[in-house]
Amino acid sequence: MFFHVFKNRIKCLFRDKQALFFTILFPIILGTLFNLAFQNLNDIDAFSKIKIGMVKNQGYQSDLTFQQVLTSVSGEEKDALFQVTYTSEQNAKQLLKEEKIQGYIFIQDGIQLVIKEDGLYQNIIQSFLNDYKQMQYTIASILKENPSVLESVMKDLGNRKNYLKDVPPGNAAPNWVLNYFYCLIAMTCLYGSFWGLREITSIQANFSPQAARLNMAPVHKLKVFGASMTAAVAIQFFEVLALLAYLIFILKIDFGNQLGYILLTCITSTVTGVTMGAMVSSLIKKGGENFKSGILVSISMLMSFLSGLMIADLKYVIQDKVPILSYLNPANLITDSFYSLYFYSTHDRFFTNILILWGFNILFSLATYFVIKGQKYASL
Amino acid sequence: MQVYKLILKILYKNRTSMMIYMGVFLFFAILSSASSNNSEITTLTSTKIKYGIINSDQNSEIVKGLESYLNKQAILVSLPKEKEKQQDALFFRKVEYILEIPNGFTDSIMNGENVELAKTTVPDASSTVFMDMLVNKFLNTTKIYSGHAQNLTQKEIVQHVQSDLSKMTPVVFQNDSKGKNDNFFAGYYFKFLTYSQFSILILGICSVLIVFNNTDLKKRNYASPMKLRNINLQLILGCVSFAIISWIVTIIPSFFMYKSVMTTKTGAILLISSFLFTLTALSISFLIASFIKSRNAMTAAANVVSLGSSFIGGVFVDQMFLGKNVLTLGSFTPTYWYVKAVDSLVKLNQFHYVDLKPVLNNLLVVVGFGISALMICLVYLKQKRQSF
Repeated sequence: MFFHVFKNRIKCLFRDKQALFFTILFPIILGTLFNLAFQNLNDIDAFSKIKIGMVKNQGYQSDLTFQQVLTSVSGEEKDALFQVTYTSEQNAKQLLKEEKIQGYIFIQDGIQLVIKEDGLYQNIIQSFLNDYKQMQYTIASILKENPSVLESVMKDLGNRKNYLKDVPPGNAAPNWVLNYFYCLIAMTCLYGSFWGLREITSIQANFSPQAARLNMAPVHKLKVFGASMTAAVAIQFFEVLALLAYLIFILKIDFGNQLGYILLTCITSTVTGVTMGAMVSSLIKKGGENFKSGILVSISMLMSFLSGLMIADLKYVIQDKVPILSYLNPANLITDSFYSLYFYSTHDRFFTNILILWGFNILFSLATYFVIKGQKYASL
Repeated sequence: MQVYKLILKILYKNRTSMMIYMGVFLFFAILSSASSNNSEITTLTSTKIKYGIINSDQNSEIVKGLESYLNKQAILVSLPKEKEKQQDALFFRKVEYILEIPNGFTDSIMNGENVELAKTTVPDASSTVFMDMLVNKFLNTTKIYSGHAQNLTQKEIVQHVQSDLSKMTPVVFQNDSKGKNDNFFAGYYFKFLTYSQFSILILGICSVLIVFNNTDLKKRNYASPMKLRNINLQLILGCVSFAIISWIVTIIPSFFMYKSVMTTKTGAILLISSFLFTLTALSISFLIASFIKSRNAMTAAANVVSLGSSFIGGVFVDQMFLGKNVLTLGSFTPTYWYVKAVDSLVKLNQFHYVDLKPVLNNLLVVVGFGISALMICLVYLKQKRQSF
């Protein structure tokens, strides 16, 4: 009996083209669009050699020290700061106008920097030039205090030390764009609520004629409902896996490599979505299926929005300012599970998320159970 | 005007879903204008990096000096205590550079011993390169003083270092025209409206045409004493007035949000451009509507077309951040050309023909999209009618 209902419910659900579109095709399209639009976003702040111009005039030719310093930080090496174009002033102006260089250096009565707009790269160029100028002041002021140390000061200036050592920020690169994709999965799981809605509609006698017929059958309602909810979860889980495979293998989105935990997150959040749909649609007595699915879309979208689907920062802001909201929002718990698997080396936060999600799953299921159990109808 | 009235009735009945898109648009438009105060497009101190310090050493003059030196070129943000929260802050770029000052740091620097500061950063980022430069510069200069001028106190050393490091290289700005800040924000608004216009028009036109394309209703209409030409004329009139209403509703908030821009020439051209885009979107919606048979397909088409064109056309993410392939793909949408027109428009300070030419050219392409969609639509409808 269980398998009979299960099989037929699967068939029924597969024929619901609109729900199929929103639970699998739409996330895939959105994922593709995210990937197209955001692929360069995380690299915006990546450092690449700064292109600058150096005007080869009288001032430059006569400042041999500066020539040396500039060559030492530019060139083909990977860790060089600048890529220098040596040119005339006229040409440098043109290059800057066409934004082929970030700025150019001009030596006449001291070093000058000419730029078009202000930005981090311009700051770096200026900081480098400042360095050169400031060193001269340092030498002068030390020699004033203690004229005998010229030689050792020059030596110290020659071998400047790096005082910094790198500590990796987390388990992986802090690529905030990933949050969009984690949110997308959360949204898909919550869209699984459509299936929950379908199951409630076809089991509550006052929601559809088909359900009225089903209630006449000599089979325990919980058994039928159990089978049909399993069918809904199965379909949704299959879709989430398909989406995950698409994201990982086609779009090459980084989910870390803890496959077991990733699957656990998927199944947990699939159940959350389906049971949430069942609860909401069993609680709303009035309004047709369209009205209810409108409500479900709004709830899912609001939750996904709050976990950063449209603005990634929002997830952080809410966690920082209203932490309770981030624990009460299933979409955020799902997103955060993927995030903590990717970024943290420990699993504390991951398991907290999963446990709360299961808490929600049980809550949603119980609420649904108490609404639909043992209902009798005087008339339909 | 029976047909015209009918169209308005159908649209009114379907208002909810269209109003949702209008709401989404307004929400984001207001959100983006609210965050416009801390913009990045200003003068040489604008691109300040957010950094945090964890000090495990005493609060010595040197540590204070380092902090105040960094504060001139970066913004000190307070860090959360838990390690995980610091990681979160870095992931979402609420802080870009975390510097840890170890215990015994001041003594080591003063005695010329080796000392290492741990930094947690966004790997390979420009902000990291810049902050590294600043920190190393301060410490190297400090070390030179502490190594060679033994009779100086900590405070004096810091004073010397700060005075040396305050010597700046003069910066000259090359004068090229650059638009005003407000223009850019009005630009965002007018780019973003492509999203809502597309969604609303597709939903509206589809819900009208689904009714009119119902075979039984069509047969009934053909049998009516009203001339087919008359029906079609009213149909077109109805759709065009719907587009105009939706355009007017969309642009009204811009007059409140960007008053200073909307009364200038830039504002006027933005209005014209958005109107042209609306007409193009209308004719594309017409084309889509003539292929669509069910309401489910209608929602799907509205979502895919509006989101798709906004993503690859450069509405949600600036065109300069999009990859080359994406832009090529995007150039097959009118949104791409409209966004291009708006982007070049908001930079303008002068409005001679030469300056306006790129704007006009891009707008011509937008209109071209509209005309060709209309042509395809007419040919298709003609063929369909003959096979009817």
